[in-house]
Amino acid sequence: CKKLDLSPTDAFTNETYWTTPEKASVVLSRAYQQISSSGYFFSQEALSDNAYMGRGDAFNAASLAAGTYDQSLGRFKSEWFDHYAGIKTCNIFLENVDKVTSMDANLKARMKAEARFIRAWHYFLLETWWGDVPLVEKDLTINEAKVVTRTPKAQIIDFVLKELDAAATDLPVNTGLAEADRGRVTKGTAVALKARVLLYDSRWADVVTECEKLIGKTDFGTYGLFSSYEGLFLPQNEYNNEVMFDLEFVPPTVGTRSYTEFRDLAPLSVGGRLNAVAPTQELVDSYLMLNGKKPGESGSGYDENNPYVGRDPRLTNTVVYHQYQWKKPDNSIQTIYTKPGSDPDQEHHFDEYAPGAITSPTGYYTRKYYDPTSTPADFGSGLNLILIRYADVLLMYAEAKMELGQLDASVWDKTIKPIRARAGFSDAAALNFPASGAAELKEIVRNERRTEFAMEGLRIFDIRRWKIAEDVLNGWAHGAKFGAAGIDDGYIRANLRTFDPGKNYLWPVPRDERAINPNLTQNPGW
Amino acid sequence: CFVVCLMCFTAVANNSYGQKFLEQQVTLKFKKQKLTDALDKISANNQVKFAYADNLLKPSFRVDLNVTNKSIKEVLDEVLTPFNLGYKIIDDVIVIGERPSDATSLNGTREDVKAVKVSGKVIDDTNLPLPGVSVKLKGTTLGTVTDVNGNFVLDLPTADGTLVFSFIGFATKEVPLNGQTTGVNVQLIPEQNALSEVVVVGYGTQRRVNLIGAVDQVTSKSIEGKPAVNLTQALQGTSPNLIIQQSSNEPGAYQTINIRGVGTFNETKPLLVIDGITSDDVGALNLLNPNDIESVSILKDAGSAAIYGSRSSNGVILVTTKKGSKNSAATLSYNGQAGIQVPHVGYKPVHSYENAILRNEAVVNAGLTPIYSPAQIRQFQQEGDHKWFLDEILQNAVQQNHNLSLSGGNATSSYLVSAGVLDQRNNLVGPNYGLRRYNYRMNLSSEFGKVKVNSILAYSRTEIKEHSFNTGTLIVDAGRTPTYYPIKDDQGNYLTNDVLAEFNPLGILEKGGYRKRDNDNVFGNLNAELNITKDFKIKGVFGGTLTANHLFGRVMQVNYLPKGSYGSDRNTTDDNEKTLFTNTQFLAQYTKTIAKKHNVDILVGVANESTTFQGNYLRLKFTDPELGTPITGTVIETSSTGTNSHTIERSLNSVFGRASYNYKNKYYGEADFRIDASSKFAKNNRNAFFPSLTAGYRLTEESFMQSYRDKFGDVKLRASYGILGNQSVPEYQFLDNYRVSGDYYSFNGQQVSIIDIKFANPDIRWERASTFNIGADLSFFKNSLTVSADYFNKITRDILLPPVVPGVWGATASDYNAGEVQNRGWEVNINYRLTTGAFNHSFAFNVGDNNNKVLKLEGGDQLRSYDEMQLLNKVGLPIGSYVALKRDGYFQNLDDITNGAKPAGLNVQPGDNRYVDVNGDGIIDENDKFVFSNGFPRLTFGFTYTLNVKNFDFNLFLQGVGKRNMFVRGEQVEPFHVNYSQVIYQHQLDYWTPQNPDARFPRLAASGSQSNENNFRRGSDMYLFDGKYLRVKNVQVGYTLPVSVSKKVGMRKARVYVTGQNVLTFSPMKFIDPESTELAGNVRANGANSARSYPLPVYYGFGIDLTL
Repeated sequence: CKKLDLSPTDAFTNETYWTTPEKASVVLSRAYQQISSSGYFFSQEALSDNAYMGRGDAFNAASLAAGTYDQSLGRFKSEWFDHYAGIKTCNIFLENVDKVTSMDANLKARMKAEARFIRAWHYFLLETWWGDVPLVEKDLTINEAKVVTRTPKAQIIDFVLKELDAAATDLPVNTGLAEADRGRVTKGTAVALKARVLLYDSRWADVVTECEKLIGKTDFGTYGLFSSYEGLFLPQNEYNNEVMFDLEFVPPTVGTRSYTEFRDLAPLSVGGRLNAVAPTQELVDSYLMLNGKKPGESGSGYDENNPYVGRDPRLTNTVVYHQYQWKKPDNSIQTIYTKPGSDPDQEHHFDEYAPGAITSPTGYYTRKYYDPTSTPADFGSGLNLILIRYADVLLMYAEAKMELGQLDASVWDKTIKPIRARAGFSDAAALNFPASGAAELKEIVRNERRTEFAMEGLRIFDIRRWKIAEDVLNGWAHGAKFGAAGIDDGYIRANLRTFDPGKNYLWPVPRDERAINPNLTQNPGW
Repeated sequence: CFVVCLMCFTAVANNSYGQKFLEQQVTLKFKKQKLTDALDKISANNQVKFAYADNLLKPSFRVDLNVTNKSIKEVLDEVLTPFNLGYKIIDDVIVIGERPSDATSLNGTREDVKAVKVSGKVIDDTNLPLPGVSVKLKGTTLGTVTDVNGNFVLDLPTADGTLVFSFIGFATKEVPLNGQTTGVNVQLIPEQNALSEVVVVGYGTQRRVNLIGAVDQVTSKSIEGKPAVNLTQALQGTSPNLIIQQSSNEPGAYQTINIRGVGTFNETKPLLVIDGITSDDVGALNLLNPNDIESVSILKDAGSAAIYGSRSSNGVILVTTKKGSKNSAATLSYNGQAGIQVPHVGYKPVHSYENAILRNEAVVNAGLTPIYSPAQIRQFQQEGDHKWFLDEILQNAVQQNHNLSLSGGNATSSYLVSAGVLDQRNNLVGPNYGLRRYNYRMNLSSEFGKVKVNSILAYSRTEIKEHSFNTGTLIVDAGRTPTYYPIKDDQGNYLTNDVLAEFNPLGILEKGGYRKRDNDNVFGNLNAELNITKDFKIKGVFGGTLTANHLFGRVMQVNYLPKGSYGSDRNTTDDNEKTLFTNTQFLAQYTKTIAKKHNVDILVGVANESTTFQGNYLRLKFTDPELGTPITGTVIETSSTGTNSHTIERSLNSVFGRASYNYKNKYYGEADFRIDASSKFAKNNRNAFFPSLTAGYRLTEESFMQSYRDKFGDVKLRASYGILGNQSVPEYQFLDNYRVSGDYYSFNGQQVSIIDIKFANPDIRWERASTFNIGADLSFFKNSLTVSADYFNKITRDILLPPVVPGVWGATASDYNAGEVQNRGWEVNINYRLTTGAFNHSFAFNVGDNNNKVLKLEGGDQLRSYDEMQLLNKVGLPIGSYVALKRDGYFQNLDDITNGAKPAGLNVQPGDNRYVDVNGDGIIDENDKFVFSNGFPRLTFGFTYTLNVKNFDFNLFLQGVGKRNMFVRGEQVEPFHVNYSQVIYQHQLDYWTPQNPDARFPRLAASGSQSNENNFRRGSDMYLFDGKYLRVKNVQVGYTLPVSVSKKVGMRKARVYVTGQNVLTFSPMKFIDPESTELAGNVRANGANSARSYPLPVYYGFGIDLTL
C-alpha cells in the first residue's frame, strides 16, 4: 500500500523551484523559445504580395493573403494565445526571480531586462496586428483574465517604448556578451526594436533618434553590414555583426532544436518535397536592373524574354527562377528548369510549372535561407533566423529621413548606397543618390526595403503601415510568364485576392476570446 | 423451499460426482447434541455442505453418537434415520429431506426387490455424464440418483410408467418407459431460466430472482464462437446502453466503451473489475482470452455500483473467469477457429481520365487554366487505370485462434488450466504485420477445514508488429492518389508522383522498418476465506497486475524514384514501461435467515489500491542502416529519458459496505456505501462518501397475485438512488508543476533546456453523479419470455473539465469542477425461447437510449473549433453539439446571388452552397449558425437469434445504432481536398450542375477559390451525415456430431461451424464505415472522421470445438 501524499518525481512546485540562477535561467530560456517559431517565420512572406502559399494553409497564410477569412480563423486565436503565453512566462519570471537570493545582481538585472525586452516584443506584434489589445503587466488569475479590457494601441506603444528603454539600460552591448551567451538580446537589440516600433507608428523623428544611436556609434553596440549578402544567410557566418536579433537553432546532428521548412521551399530537383510557398512575379519585378533602373523603365535594358539577366544580384540570392544556376553544397552547379517543357530531363522535369502540380504555382522557388549543411533528405537545419539586422536600421533611417524630407546624398551614402554596394551593385547610376522628386524617392526607399528583406517576413508589416494593401493584395497574384497568352500578358494567374481597407488592416479579435470575455470589443468592420 | 446454510452454494451445478466422500472415515462423539450442530460438525471436519429446509430439522432433534472410523454414509444413516430423514447428493452438497415413507430411499441405500430393473444413463448438453440426477417414477416416491458416471439403476414394479429426471439448473425431463428397461439414455439441457441464474455483483453474487440492481450479465454463451479478437469486441451489442465504438480496426487498436452514454466531459471509461480485483484501465479487457470468460456483469445503476464509490459513475464491468468444478472428472477441451479478413473500403476513385476531366472542371470553375490537355486525357483513357494505391497496400489477412483448457476437481479442490493463442494478421501489406496474443490461466480453489483458498494466476503476452509510420496517413495518402500513377516500377523501385511528392506508402510498408511491441501482463489473485460461524465469514484478498510493455522500433531508409526517400534519420527506438498495480482487501460478511422470513446479508470491507508506473525511453537516430546500433554520427535524441522522468504513482484507500435485507423474497431493501480517499486530490478534498439505497418488490409473491403468477409469470419492481464518483483525472493537478520541457532553445549553437509550467487547481475534487434508476423484471409463459426495462436519470455534478481560459491568461489550466450534466434514458432487454417440434429458437433483443443535456457550466458556454465545424457545450444542449451553418440549397442563378445572403468578401457563383441567413442581415457570418445534435450514438441495439435443430445450430447476431450524426470531412466530402488530394470519389459525382440542381454536393471549384471557401471552408450541415446502421455482426452455422459418432473417435463432443463477421451492413452512410467514429468515447476528440482509419475487416472462417 502506498501513502496518499504523493508528488511527481520529475517536477518542482512553485514553492521549491526558485532556488538557483540556473533554474531561473531555464524559465528565461522558455521566454526566448516563445519569441517566434520557424513555422511563423517561413510562412510569413506568404501573407504578402511577395509570395503565395499554394498548397495547404499553414498558419493560415493563404487565407490571410486571399482575404477569405472571418474572425474564426485559427491563426487569430493561436497567435493571440502565443503572444500572451510568451508574456505570461516573462511576467512569471519577473515576479519570481527575486526569490533567488544567491544571484549576482548584475546578472539578475540583465535577465530581467531580457524578460522585459521579450515581453515588449510580444506587445509590439499584438498592437501591430490588432491595434488595441489587453495590457497585462503582471500574471493574472483566470478570473481577472476573463474581464480584461483592450488598452488603446497608443498606450501599448508607450508601454513598449518605456520597457525597451528600461531594458536597454541593463542589457550588455553585443561586444560585451560572453561567447556562450551569443543569441541573447543586447542593448542594440532593444534600440533597434524601438526604432521599428516607432517606424511602424510613423514617428519619423523618433526613428531618426533611435537609429542614430546605432549608426556610426558604439555606445549601444558595434554593428555593420556583413560583407556578403549571400553569406549573411549561411551557417558559417552566424553571429556576424549585422545580426541584431535572431531566432536560434542547432543542426539536427547536435540536438532537436532544428527545422525542416526549407524542404517545401527549395526546387524539387535539388531535394525539395513540394512547394508550399512560392515567390510571385510581383516580387521578381521589384528587383532593379544593375543600372538602378526599374525593369521596363526606358533605358533599363530589361528583356522580357530573358528577364533574369542584368538584375539586382539579390534576386539570385533570394529567388530561384527559370535556368537558375543552383549552387550545391559541393559548389557544383545545377540548372533549374521551371519553364514547361524546358527540362532536358523530360522524364522527370521536376521543377517545371504545371497547373495543379506539386511544383511551384508561380514558377519560382526560394534560395534565401538555403542551408548547404542541412541534412539532404529533409533540409533539417540549425541556421539561425534573423529577426532584426543592421541593414534594417539603415533602411529605417533612410525611410524616416525621406519622410521628413531630409533624405539627401549624405544620408543616402550612409544607408542605401552601402546596402546596394554590398548587394553587388557597381554601376554608379545605381549606387549614387538619385536626383528624384519626393514621390519617386519614396518609391525607391520602399522598394529597397522590399528587395533587401524579401522572404524575411517583413513585407506584410510594411504593406500594412504604408496602407497599400488595397492595391497590392487585391486582384491576382501572378507567376512567371508561363500562362495562357491572352490573359494578363501571359503571366500565370496564381491566386485571386481581396482586401477591404475598411476592415482588413486590423485583424479581428478572435471569436473564441470574445465569447469568453464580453469586455473585449471588436475592431471596426468585424 | 430450501435455505442454504452456506452462501457460497451455487445453484448451477456443472459437473457432479458420486458418493465418494460418503466413504470417508470419521470419528465422532456426540451426546444429546442438536441434530443441526451434529451435521455442522460432520461438515466442518469433512468439508461437506448440508442443505435443508429449516423447518425440517426441529430444534428438539438431538442425537447421541459414538463412532470410530465409520464412513459418513453410515454416520448419516445412523443420525438421520431416527427422525425419518433421508438425503441426496447434489454436486458437493448433501440435501437433507424427509425420508420417503416407502422403503426405497432417495439415496438407494436399501435394496428392495422389485419386479423390473430399469437402467440407463443421463448426460448433459455437452454429452458429459451427469451424476446426482434425481430419477423418479412419476406419481410415486420411487427413485434414485445417478452415479459418478451418470448411470442409474432403478427397481420398479412395472416398466410402463414415466420416469422424471430432474437436476438443479437443468430442465426437468419426463421419459415414458413403454416397456424399455435398459439403455434409458436421457440428455438434460441446462435450464435457461433467467431467474435461476446467478449474477455476479460487487463483492459477491446474487440469484437473478433476488437481484434488484440494474445489472446485465453476459455469459460465455454470448461470447463463444464469435470471431472477436478481444473481449471488448465480443461484448458489442450484448447489453443495452453498453456502447462500444471503434475508431480503428487495426490489430492492436482497441474499441472505446461507454455505459449509458457520456456522463461527463471527462473520462467516460467504466471501471473494470476482473475476478474481484479492480483494474487500472478498462483496456485490460483486451488482454483477456474471451474463451476464459464465464460471465461479464455490467453494473449500471447507483444501487449496484456505489460499492465501487469514486470510480463507478461511468458504470462498472465485472469479469468472472471460468473455474473448475469440484468432484468432476478431468475435462480437456479444444476450441479453434481460422478465417480470412477481407478489408472493406466503401469509397472508390473514378477512372483516371474522368478524374482528369473533373479536375479540369474544378480549376476552370475557379478561373484557372486547365491542368490536363485533351491529349493527356486521351492518353489516360487509352492507358486505363493503374491499380489504386489503397488497393495496393491492402490485402486479405488470416486470423486464427486456438484454445486448450483442462479442468476438474476432487472433493476439496478444483482447477482450471487454459492456454490460448490468437493470431490476427494485418490487412496492410508488408513483412508479416499483425498481432499475436498468448494467454495462460490457472484458477485453483482448495479447502482446508474452515478455510477456503482461491488462487488465480493469468499471464497474457501480446506481440504486435506494425510498420514504422502512421496508419492514418498511409491510408489517406494512398486514397488521395488518382489512378494515373503506378506505385512501383518493373524493377521493384517505389515511385513518387505529383500527389504524394516524396511519399510512397507501399515503400514504407514493405521496406521502411517496423515497430515491435511485446507486452506482458501478469494477473494474480490470492484470497482466503474463513468461516468463523456458519453465518459469519471473513475474507482477505491480495491481487494485482504487473504489466511490462516494451516497444522496439526501427526506421529504415527507403529511397524512391525519381526522388525522395523515407526514414533518412534511421531512428532506433527502445521504450520500456512497467506498471505495478496492487489491490488489498479485507472483507467480513454476515448472512442470516431469521424466522424463515428475514434474510439479512451484511458486508463490510476495507481496501487499498496502489499504482506505480515507470518508463524509460531510448531514442537514437542515424544508427547503423542494417543493425540499428550506434555508429559514428549516431545522435541520442533528447527525448531519451529515464525512469525518474516517467514515474506516476497513485493510491486510493477505501472503506465500503452493504446491508441487504429481504422479507420472504418479496420485499427487498439494500444500502451500499463507500468512502474513498485519493492521492489525486489535496488533503482537504481527499475524502468522499458515496452512498446508495435500493428497494425491490416481487409483486407476484403476494397471495392476491397468485393467479396472475400462475397464468403469466413473475413481476418484480425495483428502484435505486445513489451517488457515484469519478476521479479519472491526471495526477498532481493540485500542485503547480515546474518541469523541464522536451523542447529546447539554443544559444551560441548549444541547446538549452526550457521550463514547462503546469498550473495547478488546488481545489480540484471528485465528480459526483446522483443516479436514480427504476426498473421492472417480468417473465411470461413459464419464464420462456422475460422482459426487463429500466429508466434512469443521472445528474453528474462538479464535472471536472479543462476550463476554457482566455488566451490572455496565456496557458492551459488544470481541470476544475465546473459542470453539471444530465443523462436520462431507458433500456429494454427481451429474451424469448420457443420450441416448435425439433426447432429450439431463442431470441434476445436489447435496445437502449440516452438523452444527454448540459445543466450547468461555470464560466458560460464552451465553443471550440473542430475542423470546419465547432463544438458547443451549452446549458440545455447535449455535450459536444455541432455548430455550423445550415444549407439552403444552392445559388441557382445570378438572381439568387444578387438577392441572396453571402459570406462577406466572397464572390459566389451558381452552384455554390447557399446558407440560411438567420438574422436576415444579408451577410452570412457567425450569427447565422445553427446547433445540430452531437455525434454520439443513440438508440443502440443488439439482436441475437439462435436456432437448434437436432445436431445443427444457427446463430445470427445483429447490432446497430438507430440515430447518429456523423461529421465526415476532408477528401471524403471535398473533391481535390485543398490540393492534398487529387481525387474525386464516385460518391462525390452527385455535385451541382445546371442539370443537377438538387445535388448532394456543390459544384466543383478548385481549392483557394472563393467558391471553394464558401462551400468547403465554412462548416455547414453538408458535413453531417446520417450514421445510423444495422449490421450483421456475426452469423454462425454449426453441426454437432452425434454422440455415437464422436464416441468412436474418443470424444465426448465434437462440433464444427462456419462463421462470418461484419458480413452485411445496412446504412444510409455508404462510403465510410458508419461504425467508425470521430469520437474517442468521450467528446474531447480533436477532429472529424476523414476515413483515415484502417478499413473494416469482413471475416469469414470456420471453427472446431472438441471436448475429450
